[in-house]
Parts: sequence; structure tokens; C-alpha cells
Amino acid sequence: MARSQAYFGDLLLPLMVALGLWGQAQTAQAHGAHIQANEITAVEIEATYDSGEPMAEAGVEVYDPTDPQTPRFTGQTDRDGRFSFTPDQSGDWEVTVRQAGHGAIAVIPVSGDGTITAAIQTNTPLTPLQRGLMAGAVTWGCVGTALYFWRGKR
Amino acid sequence: MHIPDGIIPAQVCAGGYALTGLTTWYVLRQIRRGPDPSEAVPKAALLAAAFFIGSSINIPVPPVSVHLVLNGLLGALLGWYAWPAILIGLFLQALLIGHGGLTTLGVNAVMMGLPALIARGIFQLRYPLGARLPLPWALGIAGFGAGALGIGLAALIFFGVIVFTIPSEFTLTTERNALLGLMVAHIPLMLIEGTFTTLLMLFLHRVKPELLKSQGG
Repeated sequence: MARSQAYFGDLLLPLMVALGLWGQAQTAQAHGAHIQANEITAVEIEATYDSGEPMAEAGVEVYDPTDPQTPRFTGQTDRDGRFSFTPDQSGDWEVTVRQAGHGAIAVIPVSGDGTITAAIQTNTPLTPLQRGLMAGAVTWGCVGTALYFWRGKR
Repeated sequence: MHIPDGIIPAQVCAGGYALTGLTTWYVLRQIRRGPDPSEAVPKAALLAAAFFIGSSINIPVPPVSVHLVLNGLLGALLGWYAWPAILIGLFLQALLIGHGGLTTLGVNAVMMGLPALIARGIFQLRYPLGARLPLPWALGIAGFGAGALGIGLAALIFFGVIVFTIPSEFTLTTERNALLGLMVAHIPLMLIEGTFTTLLMLFLHRVKPELLKSQGG
């Protein structure tokens, strides 16, 4: 009996040590971290002012196709005016970018397999030539109006 | 400075159009009361072109860039005619070069047009000032006040409209800081437009003083 108790006692100590070590090992495993890379389809937008400067750190709101009232994602553009989001359903996603009262809205059509149909660009900036032509046309119209009324006075 | 489409709520856009309609009615009534309503149309047409082109002239004020507005100048030189000139200029800017928007045309007209009408009142101060100071001084001071306050008041209205309509989802502090930066950048622009208006008034006083008489009642 005394022998069997000693035998149990001999077994108990290594068992407790083993359990303690296992417990420590379990605790150490909870501090581990793992990174797994998955392939996803994301949409990246790039917001710029019409002068060509990026809209850095501008507010972004993204609305999914089912709820145009509550933004699905919100955030800020980076220094280059870029912002990415991952659409999880097909349809027209609406993106609003604003900074200090200036901004733009873009509607991005996402197809069933999560890809956008083509590169989308809203309000294509005018080239200096186009801008000059517009200014010239408006000036010409205004000068014409002025001459018409001025002639009437003579 | 121009508020584009999609930035402010529809109710504010509708309010802007209502106020613009009311002001247009009042201003046209004032113009019609004058002895010859079409008298200042040539001048108004030319200054509408200057207003249109002015918004394309960017002035870098790091870290942002601002553009000329010239609403104070129009108010001082055109009087009541400044309102239709600005309204037509804004319409063409929204349509042709994408500055502003058609839904926000009313708000933008109030933002730039009402300060122009106030600038008209400030420029009228040249008469009481002229009684105490030499005429060029009176013209210069009244011109500077009209030019600087026209753009300054427009910037304040812009700030007010945007601050009170920031959507709750946005980070208010970031947007307010960005707005504040833009507003500070308008202080040099006030000086530029004030100085430009003064110089133009003094030039016109020398070469064609009849252009400086009050227009439209």
C-alpha cells in the first residue's frame, strides 16, 4: 500500500510538471500571430482637383448599391488622393470625396464577379487649350452683346 | 470657392434658388426704375466676361490655391447690374468649365451676388468720403473696401454653408481644419482684389470718369 502510494507520488510530480509545461505552451501559442494573404478584388479611386493636385486627406464615403442613405465605408484619402475599398456585391457603388467644401461624386459599376467594367473618370479636366477656347468663346459673346447694346445708343 | 453638385443637401440648394429668384426679381425692378435700363448693359457684358475668366486665374497660397472672384469689383462698377452679370457668369462657368454646378447655382449666386450688392453700397461711401478727402483718396478707399469685402463676405458665406451642412459621417475636425485653411488663404486674396479694384478705379477716374457714376437707380 505504502509502495503503491509512493508509486502514485512518483507519478504525480512529473504529471503536474508536464501539465504545467503544456499550460505554458498553450499560453505561448495564444500570443502567436499569423498572416495569410488572400486574393481580393478591390477598387481604388484617385481624387484630384481640376488643377491636377491630389485631394490629400480628403473625406471619403462609399455607398453600396442597396442603401444610398447610409455609407458602407468611410475614410480618408492618402497623400496622393487615393482610397481603396472592396465591393462585396454587384451593382452601382457611389463614392463621394470632399474636402473643404469641394469634391466630386463617382458611380462605379461593379459586375457580378467583382470587377469594374472599365476605368471610370468623372469630369475629365479641361486641357489649357479647351479652357482657352471656352474663355475666348464667352468673351466673344460678351463683347458681341456689349457692341450690340452700345450700337443701339449711337 | 464655387460649391459643386452633390456637396450640400437638396433643401439648401432649393433655398438658394428661392433666394436667388427673389433677389433677381428685386434687382430687375431696381434696374427698371432707372432712366435707361439698357444703359449699363455693355459694361455689364464686358465685366461678366472678366468674372468668367477671373475664376480660371489660380493664385497659389500654399498649401492651397485660390482664384480671383471679382464680385466686389463688379458690385462697385455695375451697381444693381452686378447681380445679373454674376448670375450669367456662374451659369456659364458651371456649364462650360465645370466650376460650381447647376443644382448649386442658386447658392453660389447668393454667395457671390449678395456681397457684390453690399460692395455696391460700400462704394457709394465715396461721396461722403469725397466731402472730407481728395476725390482720388475717397475713390481708392471706397474701391478697396468694396473689392476686399466682396470676396471676404463671399468666403464667410461659403464657410457658413459648408460648416452647417457637413454630413455627420465625416470627421468634422478634419473638414473644419481644411475649411479654416481655405478661409485663411482668402485673406491675401482680399488684399489682392481690394488693391486691384482701387487701381482700376483710379485709372478709370483719370481716363473715363463717367464709367464710375452710379448705375440703375
